[in-house]
Amino acid sequence: MSELYDAIVNGNAPAAAEAARQALEAGVTALDLVQSHMVPAMDEVGRRFECEDYFVPELLLAARAMKAALALIRPLLASSGAEPAGRVVIGTVKGDLHDIGKNIVASMLEGGGFEITDLGADVAPEKFVNAVRANRANLVCLSALLTVTMPAMKTTIEALSAAGLRGQAKIMVGGAPVTQRYADEIGADGYGENAAVAVALARKLCA
Amino acid sequence: MRLKLISCEVLYREMCAAAARSPHQVDVEFLPKGLHDQGSSSMRARLQEAADRVDATRYEAVLLGYALCGNGVAGLVSRTLPVVIPRAHDCIALLMGGRDRYRSYFENHPGVFFRSTGWLERGQDLDQAALLIARYGEDNGRYLFDEFNGYQRNYRQLAYIATGLEPDGSFERQAREEAARRGWQFETIRGDLRLLERLVAGDWDENDFLVVPPGWRVKPTYDEGIIEKEPA
Repeated sequence: MSELYDAIVNGNAPAAAEAARQALEAGVTALDLVQSHMVPAMDEVGRRFECEDYFVPELLLAARAMKAALALIRPLLASSGAEPAGRVVIGTVKGDLHDIGKNIVASMLEGGGFEITDLGADVAPEKFVNAVRANRANLVCLSALLTVTMPAMKTTIEALSAAGLRGQAKIMVGGAPVTQRYADEIGADGYGENAAVAVALARKLCA
Repeated sequence: MRLKLISCEVLYREMCAAAARSPHQVDVEFLPKGLHDQGSSSMRARLQEAADRVDATRYEAVLLGYALCGNGVAGLVSRTLPVVIPRAHDCIALLMGGRDRYRSYFENHPGVFFRSTGWLERGQDLDQAALLIARYGEDNGRYLFDEFNGYQRNYRQLAYIATGLEPDGSFERQAREEAARRGWQFETIRGDLRLLERLVAGDWDENDFLVVPPGWRVKPTYDEGIIEKEPA
């Protein structure tokens, strides 16, 4: 499809940066690079993950390549005034320090054209509330890797509800021990079983 | 009674000691610690397979040397023998004697990395960095190693759980050295093996153990009880 597309799918960060630089020099717009090359590349990476051709390392390397290209493209995107696919606030819930899964989802969403505010790990409910307000977010992504910290997803959702933000922002949850059943129980709007489905789910929730 | 214990090898020394003191005959099968890293559905499948292999004519119950373990026991079905599981989130709670002490320690000590004899001596010999570099090249391999271990930046303390079964001070010393290497605080906390001893002694108080009768399965509750049974 293109050198940038191939570099991302193959997880080659230097090649992705170089391909993005050359394309920009040749007059391709930043928005076109994202929409016609990077988004399809990350979709392909997600597809390969789904059919177990790719695993977590390949996802991380594709995300790394995508970010290398995005570093050149992002300033141009900002000045072009292009609207992101959605404004996302993401973090691992209070008490939980695991962040690999959350980082992969953040990268996949960023590659999918979303604007990301990453609050890191061990994030208190009120911090999510403040970030959703400050960033006018329309999507909140909550991660938990421990069954002992999963109830913090519930308290975070309750805090967002109490703050009157459920109309503004949808909430999706994920993490190894999290299930669709639990997502339904705590009133989340969506659940992603893995990082690969997160982008499609985020698009659906932000549509 | 004759009991079959299927346990994670991370509890090897503790379970052997508990089984030795049990009034019952306890046959033990240890499964690899690596199940922990395979995700909940794969771990459940391996546990189910091991539980299903137990000869129902020879035993009276299957005991699990596991906790909820990231939902690795969620959905496990009892087929012909009752399955007994301690009510705890993970092996750290099992080593600390139960979920209440674990919860209070967890809430008062954010960012603690735990070590025990099993966590020190089992599965530590893999050189993850070398494997990743061999597979993905120098640059990407190092990047992946940093990404996989980056969460450890968030930890501040290492706690060694001393059970009193150790032959000498070498485990505690290893843990102390690891903490120093990582620049973390170090603390030794006293383990409590009574929960494990009660598991193999057949002392299955409902408050601390879930007994899953045949035809039922394990369901996580995400509350103080941690697990309950539901019809399979």
